[in-house]
Amino acid sequence: MPRVKLYEHSAKTIISKALPLPYRGIRIDENTDLKKLVASLPKNKTYVVKVDQGVKKRMKNGLVVLNISPAEIPAALKKLKLKKFDNFLVEEFLPHKPNEEKYFSLERQRDGIVASVSDKGGIDIEDNPDSIKTFILEPKNYSALEKLTGLSPDMLQKIRQTFDELCFSFLEINPLVVKNETPYFLDLAATVDSAGEFFVSGTWGEKDIVAMALKTTEEKTVKILKDNSPAALSLAVINPNGSIFLLLSGGGASLVVADEVANLGAANELANYGEYSGNPSEEETYLYTLEIISLLKKSRAKRKILIIGGGVANFTDVRATFRGIIRALEKNKITLQKMSTKIFVRRGGPGQTEGLASMQKFLNDNNFDGGVYGPELPLQKIVELALC
Amino acid sequence: MLNIQQLRKLEPQIIALGNHRPILQSMLDFDFYCGRTEPTLKAIIGTGKKFEKFFFGKREILIPVYHDLSHDIKINATINGLINVNSGRRTLASMRAAISAYPNLKTAVLFAENVPEKHSLEMDKLAKTKNITITGPASVGILIPNHLKIGPIGGVDHRQLLSAKLFDTGATAVLCSSGGMSNEIINLLAHANIPLSFAVAFGGDRFPVLTPKEAFLAAENDPNTKQIVYFGELGGYDEYELAELLKKKIITKPVIAYIAGSVSAVFKEPPQFGHAKALAQRGAETAVAKAEALTDAGALVGKSFAQFLNLITKNIMTQKSPPQTQIDLSDRRASLFTCRISGDKNGSPTILGQELVAAVKTMSYSEMVIALLLGKKPKSKELAQFTDLALKLLIDHGPYVSGAVNTMITARAGKDLVSALCAGLLTIGDRFGGAINEAALNWFTAVNQKIAAANFVENFASAKKIIAGIGHKKYSSHQPDERVKLILEFAKKLKFHPHLDFALGVAKITLAKKANLILNVDGALAAVLLDLLQEKENYQKEELSELIASGFFNSLFILARSVGFAAHFLEQRRLDEGLFRLPEDSVNNG
Repeated sequence: MPRVKLYEHSAKTIISKALPLPYRGIRIDENTDLKKLVASLPKNKTYVVKVDQGVKKRMKNGLVVLNISPAEIPAALKKLKLKKFDNFLVEEFLPHKPNEEKYFSLERQRDGIVASVSDKGGIDIEDNPDSIKTFILEPKNYSALEKLTGLSPDMLQKIRQTFDELCFSFLEINPLVVKNETPYFLDLAATVDSAGEFFVSGTWGEKDIVAMALKTTEEKTVKILKDNSPAALSLAVINPNGSIFLLLSGGGASLVVADEVANLGAANELANYGEYSGNPSEEETYLYTLEIISLLKKSRAKRKILIIGGGVANFTDVRATFRGIIRALEKNKITLQKMSTKIFVRRGGPGQTEGLASMQKFLNDNNFDGGVYGPELPLQKIVELALC
Repeated sequence: MLNIQQLRKLEPQIIALGNHRPILQSMLDFDFYCGRTEPTLKAIIGTGKKFEKFFFGKREILIPVYHDLSHDIKINATINGLINVNSGRRTLASMRAAISAYPNLKTAVLFAENVPEKHSLEMDKLAKTKNITITGPASVGILIPNHLKIGPIGGVDHRQLLSAKLFDTGATAVLCSSGGMSNEIINLLAHANIPLSFAVAFGGDRFPVLTPKEAFLAAENDPNTKQIVYFGELGGYDEYELAELLKKKIITKPVIAYIAGSVSAVFKEPPQFGHAKALAQRGAETAVAKAEALTDAGALVGKSFAQFLNLITKNIMTQKSPPQTQIDLSDRRASLFTCRISGDKNGSPTILGQELVAAVKTMSYSEMVIALLLGKKPKSKELAQFTDLALKLLIDHGPYVSGAVNTMITARAGKDLVSALCAGLLTIGDRFGGAINEAALNWFTAVNQKIAAANFVENFASAKKIIAGIGHKKYSSHQPDERVKLILEFAKKLKFHPHLDFALGVAKITLAKKANLILNVDGALAAVLLDLLQEKENYQKEELSELIASGFFNSLFILARSVGFAAHFLEQRRLDEGLFRLPEDSVNNG
């Protein structure tokens, strides 16, 4: 999953180090000793506490607590934890005037690193779209950028270098406040290209990346499976009590099938989205299928439909992947039968004749309702057959 | 700029960076079904073996594997296509090297996923400066029916190639962000009797090097293309560029499109779908918004995939293809061994492709020996002559040498011919008889690294190592080896003899130290044989290096001396002197 969010704490640490500027923000997670923390903070200063989990519009959603004393921090955290968050950031509060707030963002685009800046920064930046000016971040634009943001050419150059070399994709500082030539990044969000991790010599890694909100054990298991395989595997639960379960292959084909479920008005019944591709092994496909079946078994929906769908693969071995799927179905067949699960299959590619035949045999031998189709059936049609 | 018409006129000469057997085999099968007699895949850059076995039709062939890109300059200049199946991490580095190694490269496909965005953008710059079309990352490739297939596009199983009708040429271009869907669409067009003009899968990354815009322009400029079928996905803004091209009438050919991912709206937070780019963070990136933009610009955009299929069948003329006459390749099976030097043709033995009974009429024994050892017939008459000389000179050297002693002792112990011969042969190694190969390595290395004879000698002296090819127990500058004289005489038939010159230069220095440090028969044979192979047989450095690594130079000694050992065995049998026991006074028991 190439573009991933960094924790604000990690991103600020990296950017501050590059300038170089001191950074004294403190990351808080479930392991933090709050008493020690409060004791360690100077009493004469006030602080900001905020959720640090890659969430947008924190201020508007009440996920930031401003200007509190050290003693008030534990209570503020307690409140935020009630909103089901578990990772926070504590920083010194910086008093400033609203008109000091600037907007500064960078995005890697085809033509270069594009800077978007505005001297009307702050939480209402979206109300001032016309104030945002864009530049390619390169030396000839540094003086114009300095006028709008207060960041010196030297700082801009260092930020640019860090952004580029450390495989950042996106960086947004809003508001940015510059006082006496020192920049303060009040809020900062950053996205990095996960494919670049190998090339950044440990500057950022797994621990700095905001873990996706994986709510279910099935999603977590698939994530682990994916992390340990060259193949692509993904699973997102949409509705735990849905009735339509997707076991799809291919990034594009999985979208087509999922689109069709929505097109036919059954979006609210869709239990999950996900896909396997890049020729996973029989074993990986088996383990992946077990997770889909696990979701299916837990769902309280009355009817259960499993769609095993995919396009005509270029190089994924249909025979081997289907062997894995059938093993997982076989293992759970009694439960699946009890739930009157309907199984609809549409797939093509290398080894399709054998793969489809063994799937048909499994359905026949175990009296499952449904059908098995090859490339002769248009891809999206399997959804229509499954839903009628 | 991608120019399809130009690619149609160019005979593909493809190199693979890395080996992905099913993909490369499918490219060979494609070539075979195109009616080519030679595969377009010329070599693999990889590790391990020197060759990889593939099928060309039902016949097994060997594709050379080079360990580095600069291996063969002659091949490098002809390469115009490339498939890169290295990992995402290795993709940029290997492409940089390839682009400088292959000056005539036109089309490259990057198969790996997980190429950093930064690397894709760098390759984008390289592609533009060098005018190379790079498809990918995460691309299944580019296809021109009956002409070019780079990548798994259209399938990897030979049956897929036939059922997808990749050999019928038509008028519909398939441009697709998704690899799997490109094949799906190629197949559904095949079922609907709509043959292709060409097909490209850009790959689902954020920054594909070949952009949808460039592919659309290629389709517009291609005289064979009459309409474009496009499959896009949510995420990114490519479709707005396409809409601009349509509005400005830069693209005039009909476009039928589907933008997948409207399901994204079902989620509370926009999720990351299968492909890296498939994430709609802003409204304009959603499938629905992009589909609307294309519709407004005049494209026929399916609101659902079913509607997209309807648009295709309603708007594109079908073209009946001739019935398939291609042969089925299902029953081919990979061999366990490869042998190209000899065989059996209808009960008659063959060597090097010729019937043995015919070969004996035209070839001398020495010529047959050297031809089999080298795996090809010699070009010059000198090589056979020299082989003849070597075999004669090495035939025997009296009963005193290790191998002969072993043979005789074994014979006297009452063992059979094969046992006695093996006992003799087992003594051949670095110290006895095996010095020819090591001498060849010495001369070859020094000549290639341009080491001066004096330095060469000094290196051995300081390492306290003896120089193979130099020195003899018996002969010296006072009592020259007549065999060496004959070998040196033979060298006069050559214009150049760098290896011999070097060896003699070494001997000149060593003789100044000690009179018996002459160029010996092993050293002389190795030097002249190297010179001969280079001058008369046109052997390149790499080939000579391989011969040395395989132990070829010792094979002549082993062959020649086997005669001597067998003779010693037979003589011992004739004399029947009884079991040999070492006299006790010849052993030092202290």
